Amino acid sequence: MLSTRLSNLVAGAALGALLAAAPTYAHHSFAAEFDASKPLSLRGVVTKVELINPHSWITVDVKDATGKTVSWMVEGGSPNVLFKSGVTKASVPIGSELVIDGYQARDGSNRMVGRNISFADGRPLFFAGSKPDAAPAQQ
Amino acid sequence: MDIFARKAFRRRCIEAPRGTHGACHGRPLARACAAAALLCLLAATGAAAAERAKLPRTSDGQPDLQGYWTNNTVVPLQRPAAYAGRAELSEDEARARVAKALEPTEAEAGTDADVHYQLTDYGLDITQRKLNIDRRTALITDPPDGRLPAPRPEAAAQAKERADFARAHAFDGPETRPLGERCLVWPHQGPPIMPTGYNSNLEIRQAPGFVVIITEMLPDPRVVPLDNRPHIPSGVKQWLGDSRGRWDGDTLVIETTNYSGRTQVPGTPQGLLLTPAARVVERIDRTGPDTLRYRFTVEDPNLWDRPWSAEYPLTRIDGMRFEYACQEGNYGMTNTLSGARVADRAAADKGAAR
Repeated sequence: MLSTRLSNLVAGAALGALLAAAPTYAHHSFAAEFDASKPLSLRGVVTKVELINPHSWITVDVKDATGKTVSWMVEGGSPNVLFKSGVTKASVPIGSELVIDGYQARDGSNRMVGRNISFADGRPLFFAGSKPDAAPAQQ
Repeated sequence: MDIFARKAFRRRCIEAPRGTHGACHGRPLARACAAAALLCLLAATGAAAAERAKLPRTSDGQPDLQGYWTNNTVVPLQRPAAYAGRAELSEDEARARVAKALEPTEAEAGTDADVHYQLTDYGLDITQRKLNIDRRTALITDPPDGRLPAPRPEAAAQAKERADFARAHAFDGPETRPLGERCLVWPHQGPPIMPTGYNSNLEIRQAPGFVVIITEMLPDPRVVPLDNRPHIPSGVKQWLGDSRGRWDGDTLVIETTNYSGRTQVPGTPQGLLLTPAARVVERIDRTGPDTLRYRFTVEDPNLWDRPWSAEYPLTRIDGMRFEYACQEGNYGMTNTLSGARVADRAAADKGAAR
């Protein structure tokens, strides 16, 4: 029998959590796709935003050490979650400059998981929108 | 005897001292008490009927279960050993459990655990959405210890064999990748439907003679006929089984059979796949304007010597439900396998160099 006092109470979501457990829920293993020994940080200009399932992808043009422009694809979260948080393609305008920290694909291609992403002016790109109140159980 | 006379008679009989018939004049006391009990029953039935009358209903009279619902929870399927013998936490403990779930934890840079987008920012951690909170220590309601029954020895051995094979051949090709990664079926779709880490939502729609349940991940509509038609032939297996529904009073009861033998209930031991002999019964009823109760019982004589049951609340959320079109951009499969091939080549080169 469910508790009558606490069951069905709905808490607003809250600050970060279960980071250790959450990857097991991910659609696929990120550690299988990306290499923990290949961390990298890029600065690039957004050329494409794909809010597609199972994961979103942002494509950016990055200038390498020789000044040559190369394209990188950056993997992000589930579009369903992002939509619900009010994120649309307009949230990441084409042409905006991003700074991306993450890990490169194991196959050495120009793909990476975007561990942390911020705009060039330092504003964090909180893809999930504003963080909700940490009010776990309003009992 | 008119109604008032009958009431007076009944009152006299009930109030008569034990062992006497008092004003009952030889009528058995038991009969009077039975009549009183009947009155109470009628009153209770009347109250229940009034409650039922308040239930929202569809135009054809079914209890209305429609809408968008979440089953997001921090309550585990099985009762942790630390709570053995305790079905519920105190309110303080329940608060602490949620608070602990909300604690940010960071993985160490350069480790596999850190190879992930920032889960809070991307809205993928369990606390980012509406969270059903209850004090229970397990979703399992039966067995009473809140734990899964032990699998039958031969089933456990087969499960281990499958798990070992899955580990050894994890990156051989798409066929050995998990079903969810292949976008074929998400384990939490069930039946039974289980909470999952993100997008832990479902939609229920009703039409005369049918109920349709769509989990957000993956969004295969499960169309449940309510017209007593028989199950499909036993030789036909389906990812989500074959569901048939009926109303038991105001509770929707769904029985599912015809499992494929390739899916399992999340939280059960890895490789313990439901067999075609499995039968799952779900029960869904309304507990409030914005809440439903979801109960289920799993029986599979090939896996367990006894059935087991669990329960959790569903809480209304705002729609719409975005289609989780898993296949449309499943670049992860390519990246994973191409990464594995690079690793294979590196291992081969290393071997050749020796």
